[in-house]
Amino acid sequence: MKTKRLMLFFLLALGAILLSACSGRPLSNNWPGLAADAQRAYISSGSFIYAVDVQNGREVWRYPAEVDNKVLFYANPVLTQDGQLLIGSAGTNHPFISLNPATGKENWPKNFSGAKGAWLASPLVLNGKIYAPNTDGFLYTLDMNGNEAADPIKLGGALWSTPSTDGELLYVTSLDHRFYVIDPVKGVKNDPIDLGGAAPGSPAIGNDGVYVGSFASTVEFIQPSGQHEVVATAENWIWGTPAFDGETLYYADLDGIIYSLDLASGGQNWDALQPDGPIVANLLVVGDQIYAATESGSFFALDRDGKIVWEKIPGGKIYTSPVISGDLILVAPYQAEFSLAAYDADGKQAWTFTPEK
Amino acid sequence: MWQTIIIQPMTNLLLWIYDILGHGPHTFGLAIILFTILIKLLTWPLNASQVKGAQAMQELQNDKEWQDIQKKYAKDREKLAQEQMRIYKDRGINPFASCLPTLVQFPIIIGLYQSITRALSATPFDMLQLARTVYPFQNVENIIPLNSQFLWMDLGRPEAVQIFGFALPTLAIVVALTTWVQSKLTMPASSNPNDQSAQMTKMMSIYMPLMLGWFALNFASGISVYFIVSNLLGVVQYAATGRANWSNLFGGSKTTSPAKK
Repeated sequence: MKTKRLMLFFLLALGAILLSACSGRPLSNNWPGLAADAQRAYISSGSFIYAVDVQNGREVWRYPAEVDNKVLFYANPVLTQDGQLLIGSAGTNHPFISLNPATGKENWPKNFSGAKGAWLASPLVLNGKIYAPNTDGFLYTLDMNGNEAADPIKLGGALWSTPSTDGELLYVTSLDHRFYVIDPVKGVKNDPIDLGGAAPGSPAIGNDGVYVGSFASTVEFIQPSGQHEVVATAENWIWGTPAFDGETLYYADLDGIIYSLDLASGGQNWDALQPDGPIVANLLVVGDQIYAATESGSFFALDRDGKIVWEKIPGGKIYTSPVISGDLILVAPYQAEFSLAAYDADGKQAWTFTPEK
Repeated sequence: MWQTIIIQPMTNLLLWIYDILGHGPHTFGLAIILFTILIKLLTWPLNASQVKGAQAMQELQNDKEWQDIQKKYAKDREKLAQEQMRIYKDRGINPFASCLPTLVQFPIIIGLYQSITRALSATPFDMLQLARTVYPFQNVENIIPLNSQFLWMDLGRPEAVQIFGFALPTLAIVVALTTWVQSKLTMPASSNPNDQSAQMTKMMSIYMPLMLGWFALNFASGISVYFIVSNLLGVVQYAATGRANWSNLFGGSKTTSPAKK
């Protein structure tokens, strides 16, 4: 009887372990966020935010000092002109915090903790206000000291992308398939626009309006008045923010196709260019080159004709949008040997960064 | 393989039900309920054979021939096993019939948990995984993101109701309670003090509510909805067969006389 009782207990415990192991806590899994200034790169990679010296790839500081299982960071940190590094937690506790970029110390006496959901989107800073979109569907407005400066604006659906601005209005995409134009003073302007699919990427600001890609596999051009039209299509979901280069709009899809749309004629500049693997990250245009990173772990530079100039394989999967710091392009692969790599414009690897345990 | 055989079909079934329900607020909870009913219907014959098998095993414990061989071969386990197998064969009893449905439940529970978290896609990475999971016929662009709200719950997170500043895990309590009720109702009556089967069942009626209650406390509330509906349907199924032992619920225990042969 004792053996049977032990066996029963063992089976139940095994069941508990199997179920526990199968998924873990919610929001425990995502690719890192990345930002950089001329001195440091800031990578938000789960339990820690790391500041990395861009000259040599060495860790400058990490935040927090000890792991807090309820706090996780995945959004791209945002650097402000008054010297703050802003980011919110995507863990089960979700404070929105401000750090000193030089030291990693908290700036505010009290973190903002008024949101109900996780922070997966980066905030936008405009005219001394922080506009922070949350997965609870609200856009929060804070002053630069972390105090709520206005009532939160209820939008809808989870907000995963940073708002864009033309200096006056805010443009916000949502997973609820809608696009919102917001007057910072008066609130939501016009009726929200149905994009036909979730939009996890930020709108790209153009001359007379914005361009938005979505899971409807389309790029919509939307004017501040609310008028909108589909200007381009894709073979699969468009995840990242389209990138401008004069009169050309670059965007990519989950089939790994990179498109080059001539905004003047409405035609594509090249035939479907599909170098390697699905593309989630934003394309980055610097000088004469367009940089693209793929889920297959490759990172390459294209010229304006769509010709591959060079290709590197950092490894892992690259979903995080590459950023520029001085002469270096920074790439943060996910589930790779290292967390960050720096390349120059010729594709030469300057350094890699792997956090010490 | 686990992905292809369990996660992908389950996730797609949940999404399909969610879609035909109109993918509005609360419909993902309804989709889980319908999914549970469907699983219960599919496993109905298995559960019925479990009831039948458990009953047969229970009756065997009170059987005179069975009790005699227990005494006679108490010191010869090999011979005892042979005799037990002979009796199983003679009476047409499958000793494992009562275990199979329980074993089938485990991959369903684990798969459902993974399907729920995947379908609700709390992070961009989860969303990307979901995109790879859905079958081409699904109108996935229209239905995602799923609305995780069901009644007062966020189905992707553990549930608790704030009462006077205290987070009361109501769903975990209901899961534990319904599991206890189901196990009590299905606990067969026995008068044999050495009835090992009855003792095991009694232990299960203690451990299972605690374990499932713990699951409900710590995991997405969508899985708790599955547990509750599954428990209630289990009670209904037992009641429909006329074997539910209602007296167990209220402290009394119906006793039966040992069967004479």
